[in-house]
Amino acid sequence: MTSSNENKKSLKSFYVLWAILTVFGVVVSLYAPGYLMPKSMSSSMHLSILTMVVFSVSAAPVAAGVYAATLYIMRNWAHKGDGVPAAAPAIRESAKTVVTWTLTSVILTVFLLIWGLGALAVDNSGASSNPLVVNVTGQQWVWSFQYAGPNGTKVESNDLYLPEGREVVFHITSLDVTHGFWLPQMGVQVDANEGTFTEIHTTPNKLGTFDVRCTQFCGLNHAFMVTQGHVLTPSAFTTWLNAQPARS
Amino acid sequence: MTTTLEHKAPVIKHEGGGLARHQNFLTAMIGGIAGAFIAWAIAHHLLDQNVRTTSDAVAVLTGCGWIVGFWFGIGALNAPFAWLVGKDQTRKDQLYYAGEDQGTKRYWKYCTDHKVVGVQYIVMTMVLLGAGGILAMAIRTELIVPGNHFVNQQVYNGFIAVHGMLMILALIVAVAGPWGNFVVPIMCGAKDMAFPRLNALSLWTLVAAAGLLLTTLAVGSLTMGWVVLAPITDQAGVGMDFFALAILVFTVSTTVAGVNTICTVFTMRTKGMTLERLPIMVWGAIIAAALGLYAFPYFSLVEALQILDRTFSTSFFVGTGGGTGWLQANLFWLMGHPEVYVILIPAVAALFEISAVMARKPVFSYRTAIAGMVGLAGLSILVWAHHMFTTGWAPTLGGPFMVTTELISIPTGLFFLVLIGTLWRGNIWMKLPTVWMFGFIANFIIAGITGIYLSDIPIDNQLHGTMFVTAHFHYVFVGSVLFGAIAALAFWYPKVTGRFLDEKLGRIAFWLAFIGVQVTFMSMFVSGLRGMPRRYSSYSFIFEHTNFITTIGAYMIMAGMLVLGGAVIYCWNHGEPSGSNPWHANSLEWLVSTPPPLENFDVLPVITEDPYNFGKELVRS
Ligand SMILES: [Cu+2]
Ligand SMILES: [Cu+2]
Repeated sequence: MTSSNENKKSLKSFYVLWAILTVFGVVVSLYAPGYLMPKSMSSSMHLSILTMVVFSVSAAPVAAGVYAATLYIMRNWAHKGDGVPAAAPAIRESAKTVVTWTLTSVILTVFLLIWGLGALAVDNSGASSNPLVVNVTGQQWVWSFQYAGPNGTKVESNDLYLPEGREVVFHITSLDVTHGFWLPQMGVQVDANEGTFTEIHTTPNKLGTFDVRCTQFCGLNHAFMVTQGHVLTPSAFTTWLNAQPARS
Repeated sequence: MTTTLEHKAPVIKHEGGGLARHQNFLTAMIGGIAGAFIAWAIAHHLLDQNVRTTSDAVAVLTGCGWIVGFWFGIGALNAPFAWLVGKDQTRKDQLYYAGEDQGTKRYWKYCTDHKVVGVQYIVMTMVLLGAGGILAMAIRTELIVPGNHFVNQQVYNGFIAVHGMLMILALIVAVAGPWGNFVVPIMCGAKDMAFPRLNALSLWTLVAAAGLLLTTLAVGSLTMGWVVLAPITDQAGVGMDFFALAILVFTVSTTVAGVNTICTVFTMRTKGMTLERLPIMVWGAIIAAALGLYAFPYFSLVEALQILDRTFSTSFFVGTGGGTGWLQANLFWLMGHPEVYVILIPAVAALFEISAVMARKPVFSYRTAIAGMVGLAGLSILVWAHHMFTTGWAPTLGGPFMVTTELISIPTGLFFLVLIGTLWRGNIWMKLPTVWMFGFIANFIIAGITGIYLSDIPIDNQLHGTMFVTAHFHYVFVGSVLFGAIAALAFWYPKVTGRFLDEKLGRIAFWLAFIGVQVTFMSMFVSGLRGMPRRYSSYSFIFEHTNFITTIGAYMIMAGMLVLGGAVIYCWNHGEPSGSNPWHANSLEWLVSTPPPLENFDVLPVITEDPYNFGKELVRS
C-alpha cells in the first residue's frame, strides 16, 4: 500500500502556539530567578541572577518551539481509529531544515558563550589594591574565620563579618575532608581542601545578614555545617574587629 | 496470527556432562559465599591484625573471593578450563550452553543465547531500579519534614551513596543490556553475538557486582555520596571496600559487553546489511559501547587506586602522603561525564527507531542522527572539568571547559531535530511506546536547558552543589533516560513475550510518572534556587514546603513504577497476544517468529534496503 495522504497542514496554529508559549516563557524567565533566588548582596550574585535571566530568556523560544511542535504533532497527526496507520510520506532529508536548525543552535550557543565568557571575565576582574583578606578554615563540621587584627594580631570568629563596599578575598582551606564554602547571598563558592588553599573574592554591597553553607558532602553533620554572616558598615566593622580578643 | 509461547516447550533432560549440567544461579550463590568465606578465612588468619589497613585488605580479598566463587559456581570458567586441558566444546555442548530445550530453566543459567541474556538483563535492570527506588523512597521520606529521623543520619548517608550508584549501574544497562543483546544481533541479521560466552560473562559479572554493592548496605559505614570523593572515603569503613570493588568488577562487565556489541555489528552483519541500512538503534548501541570503552577504564582505575590507598597505604588521593583528591576527582569525571552519554545514547537511538515505526515514516535525516550521536560522544570526553568548576582546581581552565560544555547543546539539538522531523507529517500510532516517547521529549528539553545554566561558571558558582544540580540530572536520568527505556520496553516487549504490555496499565503508570517527575523535580529546582545544598539529611524551615512537595511527587513516581512493574510481570503470561510483528515494522527482529528461535534464522536473510520503507511492507515467511 502506498499513501496518498500528504499530511500537509496549515502552520498557523503552530506559530500562534509557539508565540504564546514564548511570551509565557519570557515572562517567567524575567521574574522567576530574582523571585526564587536569595536576595543579592554582592555584585557576583547580581551577575549570577542576571545571567540566569539572560539564559532563560534565550532558552524560552527554543523550549516553546519544541513544546509547540510536539503539541501540534499530537493534535494534527495522531492516527485515529483502530487499524494500522497507513504509511506516511517518506521524507528522508530536508537540507534546508537541517541547515536552518543547526545554524540557529550554533548562533544561540555562540551568543550564550560570549555572554558567559564576558560575565566570567567581569567576575574575575577588578581586584582592588586593598582587599580585606579573610582566611577560612573548614573542619568537620564548623567554619572559622581568621582576620588580621590591629597591630599584627590575629582575630578569629565563627561568624563571618564583612565590611560593605570593600573587596574581600577569601583564602580557604580545610583541616580534614573536603568542604564546600558557599555564600548563597553572594553568589560565590569554592571547595575547602586539606593541605592547600583555594581563593574566591567578592564585594558585599548590601548591609544585613547572610548564610554560610557547606556544599560538599563532608560526613555525618554535613547538613548542619552552617553559620551566619554579617555585612557591616566599614566603621562598624572596624569597631567589631578592634573589640575582638587577639590571638597569637 | 498464532503465537507459540516458549514456556510451553517440552523440557528435555540432558544426559551426561556431569556437574556442569547442573550449574545455575543457586550454585553460583553457593560458590560465591563459599569463595568469600575461604578468602576471608585465609586473609583473616594470615594478615597481621595490628596493621591499620588490615580490615580493608580482608574486605577486598573477601569480595574477590565472592566474585571468583560466583564465576566458578555459575560455570563461567568451564569453557576456558576445558580449552586449557585440550577439550574443546563440542557442538552439542555449545547448544547445551545456548539453552537448547531447557525451557525457563535456562534463564537461571550461564546461557550463551543472546536472547536469554537480553531477558536476564531486563530482570536485572528491574531489580536494580527497584532496589535503588526503595532507597529513593527512604531518602525522600527522611526529607518530608525538617529534622525528621525516619532513618538515622549515618544510615541515610549510606543510602545516598548506594541509591546513586545502583541507579547509575541500572541505567547504564537499562537499554543497552536488554535490547543491545536481544534485538541488536537480530537487527544485524546475526545468529548470535560475536562472543556468546563473553555475553553470558558480562551479565553474570553484573549480577555478582550488584550483589557486592548491596552488601555495602548491610555492612554500612559508607560516609559519602556516590562519587566517593577522596579524602572523605578515608573515614569510611569496610563498606567502602566492597563499594569500590563492586564498581571495579562492574567495569569488567561493561567492557566485555561493549567489545562484544561492537564486534558483533562489525563482523556478523548479514549479506546486504550495509552500515547505512542498519536500523538506527544499532548505531546507538555501538556508539555508546565505544564511548564506554573509552570511559570505563577511568572508572576501573579510580577504584583500583582507591583500593590501593586503603589496603596498601599508598597515597594517590591522600594529601598528607603527596597525593591529592583532585586527582581522584579528575579521573572520576573523565569517566563520569562520558558515562552520562553511555546511558543516554542507547535510549535516544531506541526512540529514533520507535518514532519512525510509530509515525510510519523513515528516520528523518538518518545521517544527521548518527552525526548527532557521534558528535555528542566525541564532545563528552572533553568536558569533564565542568564538574570541578567550584573545586578550586585549575581556575584558568574554567573558560575552555565552559566552551566545550556549551557546545554540547548543538548535537543535543540534533536529537530534537531528528525526533520532531520524523514525527512531523507522520501518521502517528498513539500506542504505549509513543506515549512514553512524548514524555521523553517534554522532559528532555528541561534537562537540556537546565544543563546549560550549570555549564556557565557565573551561574555554577551559585548553583553547584545545590539541589538544583540534583534536580537537573534527575530530569536527565528519570525524566529522559528512564522514559526512553520504558518506551523501548513497551516497544520490544511483544517480541520477547509474544504479548503486549497492557496499554491501560501502561498509561496509568505513564501519567503517574510523568506528573510525578514534574512535581518532584520542579520543586527540587526551587529548593536549589532558594539555596538548599545537596545531600542534606535535614534542612532549615525555609525549605519546608518545596521538600514536602518533592516527597509527594516521588511517591507518585514510585506508584507509577509499581503499576508498570506489575504490568510487566502480569502481561508476561497473561497479556494480549501480539503476533510476531505487532507494529508492522520492517527491521529483521520483527520478521522472525516470536519468540525468535535459537540462532534466530534458519537461512540468513539478504538485505536490499533499509527498514524504513513503510509504503511496501516486506512479508517474509
Ligand atoms: Cu559538608
Ligand atoms: Cu557532566
